[in-house]
Amino acid sequence: MNQYVDVDALWKVLVAGLAGGVGLVALFAVGMVGLAARTTAHAGSQARVAGLALAVVCFTIVVAGAALGLYVMLKK
Amino acid sequence: MDANALLLGVVVITALAFDFTNGFHDTANAMATSIATRALRPRIAVALSAVLNFAGAFLSLKVAATIASGIVDSGAVTLTVVFAGLVGGLAWNLLTWYFGIPSSSSHALIGGVVGATLIAAGSSAVKVEGLMSKVIVPAVLSPAFAGMVAIVGTFLVYRITWNVPKPIRTRGFRLGQIGSASMVSLAHGMNDAQKTMGVITLALLANHTIRPAEGTPFWVIVACALTISLGTYIGGWRVIRTLGKGLTEIESPQGFAAEGSSAAVILAASHFGFPLSTTHVCSGSIVGAGIGKRLAEVRWGVAGRMVTAWLITIPAAALVGAGAWKGADVIGGTGGVAVVFALAVAFAAALYLAARRVPVTHANVNAEWTGTLDPEKERVG
Repeated sequence: MNQYVDVDALWKVLVAGLAGGVGLVALFAVGMVGLAARTTAHAGSQARVAGLALAVVCFTIVVAGAALGLYVMLKK
Repeated sequence: MDANALLLGVVVITALAFDFTNGFHDTANAMATSIATRALRPRIAVALSAVLNFAGAFLSLKVAATIASGIVDSGAVTLTVVFAGLVGGLAWNLLTWYFGIPSSSSHALIGGVVGATLIAAGSSAVKVEGLMSKVIVPAVLSPAFAGMVAIVGTFLVYRITWNVPKPIRTRGFRLGQIGSASMVSLAHGMNDAQKTMGVITLALLANHTIRPAEGTPFWVIVACALTISLGTYIGGWRVIRTLGKGLTEIESPQGFAAEGSSAAVILAASHFGFPLSTTHVCSGSIVGAGIGKRLAEVRWGVAGRMVTAWLITIPAAALVGAGAWKGADVIGGTGGVAVVFALAVAFAAALYLAARRVPVTHANVNAEWTGTLDPEKERVG
């Protein structure tokens, strides 16, 4: 079957696809948990700050990941 | 105007027509989920996708003047073969659009060219190994793989955000969806507009209108970018309806996971040179997003019909491509091409009129799925 499949490219696509498609998606979800902690009324002020920090970090990584994807695509 | 220039003109027009169907057939890939979850209003969604397709077409400037390279013998690709191949791809795109089935435009084009080459130059001009490794195997792997990524992504997204209040969750994921759908649109413009640019460049080279060193003329880039984004804006509402409402009921977290998976897989594949079809990836992701949410319903009948269409895309387009070449050849010369062209126009007009009888538009694209494409059924029932 190897003559029909570029195994080398395939596993790279698998890893990158999982990193972006699962990793970044999950990080975005974590960021939303952070945002929710910030807006929940009964949360303490410490929890709010931590939530905001978590959200900022997560969303930054997600945006950076997306930008990297576009950059890689444009470089071709 | 001599016969060659006329032939060239017909090929360019056919290529742009294919580009147009490529755009409106594939709007669904990027935007179906965003429309279904109401992250974007239908018309805004297609407009955004159109702009991004246009931008994408301009951003990718390395146009290769090839058509089905490595799949058919490039020496066998004459202007008439290109024309017949385009007619095959065009016919299949229109037919699948009429039935609202998401199917790969690249496969349709490749099928058309393979069919035309087979009948024009014989079976030795078609490279079976190239066809397997560049088309068949990726077609099997890509939806499965994208689906897997989307299953895991959807599962995690629901697990992680189970405690997040629903209004925040829905709003947040809708925003995320807009972002990831935009990535898919941009990537689509980069990849698919380029294909038609390559086809037209090839035709111009074959006709000695341009020399190889000149590269793709600017007007070709502009024309292709405009046509694909116009097609995207017109919107293949029938296909959007099947992908967004037919396959599974989509919530915004699922839509986000599906588009995230599609964007990641498409970008990764194009970077590492693994040839994937955007349509297969996106459809696989949406089914995956349906499976990933526990107890969500995937309508396997609809999915089955879609996969069946994928299986017959290449043979069917090949048949039309072969017929188109044979027809043009039997009648002979420019007249033959003109007759086939007229037949193709008539076929397109007939399907357009047939589609008007059961219209799917931006207004009813989100109507409840009642087992068929027809949004009117629910009013009766």
